Amino acid sequence: MWVMLQTLNDEVPKYRDQISSPGLTVFPKPVTALEYSFSVSKRESYEGYIEDLKKFLKPYTAEAQKNLRNCQDGALFEQKGPVYEACQFPLALLEACSGESDPEFGYSKGHPCILVKMNRIIGLKPQGKPAIECTGNSKGENTTTLPVYPSEGNIDLKYFPYYGKKLHASYLQPLVAVQFNYTASSTPKEVTVECKIVGSKNLKNYDDRDKFLGRVAFKITMRA
Amino acid sequence: MGQKTPQIYSVELNGAKDMKQTDKGDDKDKYRGLWSTCLELRKNHHKEHVTKEIDLDDHKLSNKELENKYHTNIVTGLSSTQAAELLARDGPNALSPPQETPEIIKFLKQMVGGFSILLWVGAILCWIAYGIQFSNDKSSSLDNVYLGTVLALVVILTGIFAYYQEAKSTNIMASFSKMIPQQALVIRDSEKKIIPAEQLVVGDIVEIKGGDQIPADIRLLFAQGCKVDNSSLTGESEPQPRSCEFTHDNPLETKNIGFYSTTCLEGTATGMVINTGDRTIIGHIASLASGVGNEKTPIATEIEHFVHIVAGVAISIGVLFFIIAVSMKYRVLDSIIFLIGIIVANVPEGLLATVTVTLSLTAKRMAKKNCLVKNLEAVETLGSTSIICSDKTGTLTQNRMTVAHLWFDNQIFMADTSEDHFKQTFDQSSGTWASLSKIITLCNRAEFRPGQERVPIMKRVVVGDASETALLKFSEVVLGDVMEIRKRNHKVAEIPFNSTNKFQLSIHKTDDPTDKRFLMVMKGAPEKILEKCSTIMVNGQEQPLDQSTAEAFYTAYMELGGLGERVLGFCHLYLSADEFPETYSFDVDAMNFPMSNLCFVGLLSMIDPPRSTVPDAITKCRSAGIKVIMVTGDHPITAKAIAKSVGIISANSETVEDIAKRLNIAVEQVNKQDAKAVVVTGMELKDMSEDQLDEVLTSYPEIVFARTSPQQKLIIVEGCQRQDAVVAVTGDGVNDSPALKKADIGIAMGIAGSDAAKNAADMVLLDDNFASIVTGVEEGRLIFDNLKKTIAYTLTKNIAELCPFLIYIIVGVPLPLGTITILFIDLGTDIVPSIALAYEKAESDIMNRKPRHKKKDRLVNKPLAVYSYLHIGLMQSLGAFLVYFTVYAQEGFRPSTLINLRVEWEKDFVNNLEDSYGQEWTRYQRKYLEWTGYTAFFIGIMIQQIADLIIRKTRKNSIFQQGLFRNKVIWVGIASQIIIALILSYGLGSITALNFTMLRPQYWFVAVPHAFLIWVYDEVRKLFIRLYPGSWWDKNMYY
Repeated sequence: MWVMLQTLNDEVPKYRDQISSPGLTVFPKPVTALEYSFSVSKRESYEGYIEDLKKFLKPYTAEAQKNLRNCQDGALFEQKGPVYEACQFPLALLEACSGESDPEFGYSKGHPCILVKMNRIIGLKPQGKPAIECTGNSKGENTTTLPVYPSEGNIDLKYFPYYGKKLHASYLQPLVAVQFNYTASSTPKEVTVECKIVGSKNLKNYDDRDKFLGRVAFKITMRA
Repeated sequence: MGQKTPQIYSVELNGAKDMKQTDKGDDKDKYRGLWSTCLELRKNHHKEHVTKEIDLDDHKLSNKELENKYHTNIVTGLSSTQAAELLARDGPNALSPPQETPEIIKFLKQMVGGFSILLWVGAILCWIAYGIQFSNDKSSSLDNVYLGTVLALVVILTGIFAYYQEAKSTNIMASFSKMIPQQALVIRDSEKKIIPAEQLVVGDIVEIKGGDQIPADIRLLFAQGCKVDNSSLTGESEPQPRSCEFTHDNPLETKNIGFYSTTCLEGTATGMVINTGDRTIIGHIASLASGVGNEKTPIATEIEHFVHIVAGVAISIGVLFFIIAVSMKYRVLDSIIFLIGIIVANVPEGLLATVTVTLSLTAKRMAKKNCLVKNLEAVETLGSTSIICSDKTGTLTQNRMTVAHLWFDNQIFMADTSEDHFKQTFDQSSGTWASLSKIITLCNRAEFRPGQERVPIMKRVVVGDASETALLKFSEVVLGDVMEIRKRNHKVAEIPFNSTNKFQLSIHKTDDPTDKRFLMVMKGAPEKILEKCSTIMVNGQEQPLDQSTAEAFYTAYMELGGLGERVLGFCHLYLSADEFPETYSFDVDAMNFPMSNLCFVGLLSMIDPPRSTVPDAITKCRSAGIKVIMVTGDHPITAKAIAKSVGIISANSETVEDIAKRLNIAVEQVNKQDAKAVVVTGMELKDMSEDQLDEVLTSYPEIVFARTSPQQKLIIVEGCQRQDAVVAVTGDGVNDSPALKKADIGIAMGIAGSDAAKNAADMVLLDDNFASIVTGVEEGRLIFDNLKKTIAYTLTKNIAELCPFLIYIIVGVPLPLGTITILFIDLGTDIVPSIALAYEKAESDIMNRKPRHKKKDRLVNKPLAVYSYLHIGLMQSLGAFLVYFTVYAQEGFRPSTLINLRVEWEKDFVNNLEDSYGQEWTRYQRKYLEWTGYTAFFIGIMIQQIADLIIRKTRKNSIFQQGLFRNKVIWVGIASQIIIALILSYGLGSITALNFTMLRPQYWFVAVPHAFLIWVYDEVRKLFIRLYPGSWWDKNMYY
């Protein structure tokens, strides 16, 4: 057993074959299942979501990012060490969902924000121009629009590759926010959203058995 | 005789009471057992009264009385209408077949026996768990339904398998019991008709002749030279004469009754049917047999014991961890699922099927050696046998009279009595022999059935009684064509043997054309013959019979008689040609020829000789610690003689009577401790209490029971069983069948055996060779040893299967081994290897050790369980966990991260679980890793089971002493393990329901060092056992 542990690398696991392509996850962190349900008029029904988002975005404040590097857009940021730097992810990219202009992330206005991110995988180098694309599907008339930030849901290549917890401690994951604009008058307003990675050849967005491989589906139910 | 069966069923009770009876009837005692039930019921009545009550007076009645009683007519018989009525009233004249357990019951028994109940519980818990899940969440996964179904399938399939095996071995027997429809010649409506014997009714008048089977119990009305073979009923090897005279109170002794299923050897007779079907004597014995409960076989007891241990462990660990899980705030549903896992891990699902296969493999092997096993479990029983109660006639002996000794010229010569090579080596040059052989040849009415020239002499069918047959065959072997000799010595007159004369006489022309004298030859009871003689032939010369020669005669006569042999005397006389010219007419009624002053020629003695293989087999039984007891219906002298000649009473041991005779003191004065052997007669036995019988059984190493009834055979078997002995009974006759049934293992003779005996037996010796029993004992002992190995092998991995669950519950790591995967080990990779252990050769000479003690030497003992579970089992778990942790660590989850990860790990909506390196995993990615972990753990166990298999080849010797490659099947087993694992991992790795993944090749080798460690550890264990026999180590580490 001890011998076996000695053979392990502290920085990189020996094999990464079982996670060759990242999964997608969403924030706020779902409580029981992938369902967000709240009432616009009742703050306490969405307060948890806001807290969760704030907590999640804490490493993304300007203060926390001040030591990070402002990398060049559009290209992989490969490093040789021994010190590995992380690239800044300015919150402003998330625009209306950054929490800066609206500390309630649109929940009180009926336009809630959900953050989508790709799972970290050591050494992953996406090809092409990866982006998150979301489609909504609500009951009855299709009147939902889904603005995404940064525009077109782009994920910049400069955030890749990731070098692991130990070497790359200050690493910040790129995020994409989705906001909901319900125009229908019916209540409750219900929509099922599916987001997936597009634009990159080596990032899968469909797998028979794994429903979270390069995609994620969740449901929002909003009452007045 | 009219008693109802329920009384017969209460055998055991009456068996004890029977012995308390102290009435002093002489010969009746032999058969007392049969009637004892009735006697008991009516013990206040006078005995005669009882006899009358039980309808046994037919032999005392006159013909007229009989006619009245059965409303029949001796001359015209019954009318057809009468017969039809009676048939409707009494039913057919056939023994009702033993009650068979319905097939469906047998099948259901297999379904609920052993571990099945536990697995059913597991399956039902699975379905309940799914039910609860489903009611909470309609989309819950079907895993539990699958598992439940798989468990149920396992039970059903192993059940069907066991049932099939059982049925197969029963079917072999079915071929035996094919009954040849029997015919009977009956007088009805004044006409002789041949009807199936089944349609006989009481009052029918039947005719029988030599060679017929007696179709019902009959009272003889007319008989001529009729002799019957009662050996299958009473064990008497000599033909019994039958006449129509009432000679004895006891219906079994009187001459005027013939019994159903016995054979009429010669002569003719007419009789009235007095009992049919189950009401016949045979029917009573048969029901006595069916009333005797079947004892559970020792191996069944052992397996039950083993099942109890394993089930006990499973249930207690299961319940313990259920409680722990609940108190650790696991949900009850989860706790139930844990419980199922623990049960499945603990139950060796494949083991019982393996045991069945192992037993049937041995059964097959034994069948090749002419031991046919009816009941699979009996295979082992023979191995644990500590006492063999053997019938004499037909089992130890050849069941045919054979010339054993000759006495002439004042010398005793020995004749060859072996079955096949009939080489006579005695001195044949003497002139006396020439005369004697002539008498033997001529004074003999027996003849070979024609058309048997190519059949070996000893196997030819002869018309004639047993003694004459023996003499005919003897002379045919020694002199050549007897018929030709008889033709050359034309017979002119003859007086056949009868019981009043006690001699047989014939007068012949000689084959010497120049010699015009007649030759008179005579044979008979030696003392009667001697009386008629005045001279004796010595070295071909006639000498006067003086005092000293007469004494020599008596010494020889007593000596041969003492050997239990039937002795015949032979004499002749050449009638002078003057007095008896060629034209002389001999009148056998007027006896117009001399009957005194004959010339005595010699003696010849005959015995039913032991089979030639028996003495050797008995010696082997002795050295294997098995006591051989003879139990026979025959006379004590014959029994003792045979016992001596086969070694049941060894050459240097004496009975109390022998000592008394040697020291010339009274029997009472002999110190009983000095006697090693004892001959107990049925009469003595009946006066013995249970304790006295026990004392006889324990204090004498060599015992012969003679003149015993079927009931007493039962009592003897029970007595042996009280000593905690595993008792084997061998026999061939109907009279043996109750004892065969009562025995732990009943062994019937295949050729000589009656159907009743074969039905009651667990094993049939196809070649009637007692020596096959020794083979059986050896195989039985080997199978017991090998089953130990198989069980030890199988139990070991149970811990390796159980630990994952326990660690999962307590430490909270992701589940290391799935329930389905466990089933693939138990019913996949492990099956062939555990069967392969059945082919292992014995470690040492198993025939030189004592039989195992039924209650002390268990199949699964403490050392076996402790060593398998806690030593090798734990080592194996560690090895398997190593593979598991290696896989997880190399994929990103270090062992420290895994601890208490279970809850997050199993949440379906957590799709970004972070590993030790900061990577994030979706639920499915984790699940796939978990399956890889299952596969890794599985491979870990499999690799170490190979080592386990190798170390289990021996329990004491080093593997290198045993030979690593001697048992090729072991390597087939190892190959099967690896191939099945390869198929599961690489072939079926893509089928999700099976939870196998393609494992990196190097993980297959992670557990190899552990496997070697196991091997070395066990070699060290065996080394210490060999170095320090009897030490603490030996006692606690030798299983």
